[in-house]
Amino acid sequence: MNNVWGSMAQYDVINWPWPIAVYLFLAGASAGSIIIALLVKWNRHDKEVATIWDAMVKAGALISPLTIIVGLILLILDLGKPLSFYWLLISYNFESVMTLGVIALFLYTPLSLVFTALIFEDVIKKNALLSIIYPVVNYVKSYSKYAKKIEYVLFFLALIVGAYTGFLLSANMSIPMWNSPILPILFLASGISAGIAGNILVGMLFFKSSINKESIKYLLMLDLRVIMLEIPLLCLLFIGMFYSGGAAKVSAMQALSVGNWALVFWVGVIAVGLVAPVVIALTALKNHDYKVKFILFNSIVVLIGVILLRFYIVYAGQIFTGAI
Amino acid sequence: MKKKFRMIHDENLCIGCQACSVACRSENDVPDNVFRMQVQIETKGIFPDLKMNMQRHSCVMCEDAPCVTVCPTGASFQTKDGLVQIDHRLCVSCKYCVVACPYDARFMNPITKNIEKCTFCYSNRVSKGLEPACVTVCPTDALVFGDINDTTSEVYKKAKESNLLYPKANLGTKPKVAFVPNKKGVSYE
Ligand code: SF4
Ligand code: SF4
Repeated sequence: MNNVWGSMAQYDVINWPWPIAVYLFLAGASAGSIIIALLVKWNRHDKEVATIWDAMVKAGALISPLTIIVGLILLILDLGKPLSFYWLLISYNFESVMTLGVIALFLYTPLSLVFTALIFEDVIKKNALLSIIYPVVNYVKSYSKYAKKIEYVLFFLALIVGAYTGFLLSANMSIPMWNSPILPILFLASGISAGIAGNILVGMLFFKSSINKESIKYLLMLDLRVIMLEIPLLCLLFIGMFYSGGAAKVSAMQALSVGNWALVFWVGVIAVGLVAPVVIALTALKNHDYKVKFILFNSIVVLIGVILLRFYIVYAGQIFTGAI
Repeated sequence: MKKKFRMIHDENLCIGCQACSVACRSENDVPDNVFRMQVQIETKGIFPDLKMNMQRHSCVMCEDAPCVTVCPTGASFQTKDGLVQIDHRLCVSCKYCVVACPYDARFMNPITKNIEKCTFCYSNRVSKGLEPACVTVCPTDALVFGDINDTTSEVYKKAKESNLLYPKANLGTKPKVAFVPNKKGVSYE
């Protein structure tokens, strides 16, 4: 390498490192878990406690605010100037996907906390420590006639939060793997998949419900359908890159074949995250033989796959830009 | 009339001496190991039929600038004259602009944590009627800068007499830095 002009190090920096990948996962899981909790609440919940449905709603109400808050903290800490983050809240550029995301998160995060407070109303009332916020919960409850409308708003915001992370990346024309209209749909779908898996995991571990075979079957089938959707979406992402030719084609070929990131893709994203759940569904979970440990194992592999998908897209996208 | 700045890098006149890059560092306090601009040298061919291409690597001042579109706070903005600048007060260093720039022109200053790039020396020189530091020091006049609306300017004449190309023109970002491609050396394409 001819070095007359000085260091080339600045061009190889991973500008968006692991906290961004983790944030993308957490935001997707948060949106997915509340989407599923709301769907279950609207369509399945029969006010009976100790059903798997009740556990799903509770799990969603717990996962959604926790994951998004941790994600946002990571996001702020990753800023070059974390203490100046407040500018994001007072100075807007409506052309920027990041600004639109900030606005959505600004509404979504408190609303998801309200949802949690209402779902866990009794727990908050009885708990010595939490009961100090009970007046707030009570106040929120006084608006209960709007509850359904607020749930619709929350659902809509969750769809935006789940998809905007994809738009955030796809707005970059300089990175072929990101600059694709598939990414928002792919991220929303895999976020919902993570939401189902997370809700099943947390629901069964912490809100020990009786396992109703029919209901768990419904959820697992739902997850299977989402996974079956993710596989063609991933294919489309790469087919799109191949057909764009030039740098995008080079980028796609390298990302699928070079080094550890190709390994992460084939083993982590495809084998563990997508094929394993399908195999589990067709074997261990067939014939209505729903063993708890298989269901939990299934949830874990799905979650691992979703995390690795985010890591892969974030890193391989920045590394394999197709520039020669 | 509104000014229409252009910078032209004539790769036939450039000798790759890096005087521009050094001038930029001292004019703009650029810390070690990061660069607002470089002239990258690419050697082609097989000995003894060699050809050296000198390519300027810096912000090209896009008219449709991706870095401005993506910036969530408006910290990346265009001046009235269409020059892309960064307001460090508003910038949170989210690095969205760094990943969005198709020309790899931006970086984070390791000391101040601000995002930096070539500014055409706008605040320190051009707004005072001077030329950018790189242009003034170029020993071969490979760099020409000015208002292309002014028909008496050097840059106007240079643009008329040369066959200008724009980097990554296919992206539609409409750069204000043009180059005259290298015709010297062996033809090895
Ligand atoms: S070259 Fe990069 S930094 Fe400069 S204006 Fe264009 S997009 Fe912005
Ligand atoms: S790093 Fe600064 S200038 Fe760049 S997009 Fe973020 S806020 Fe804007």
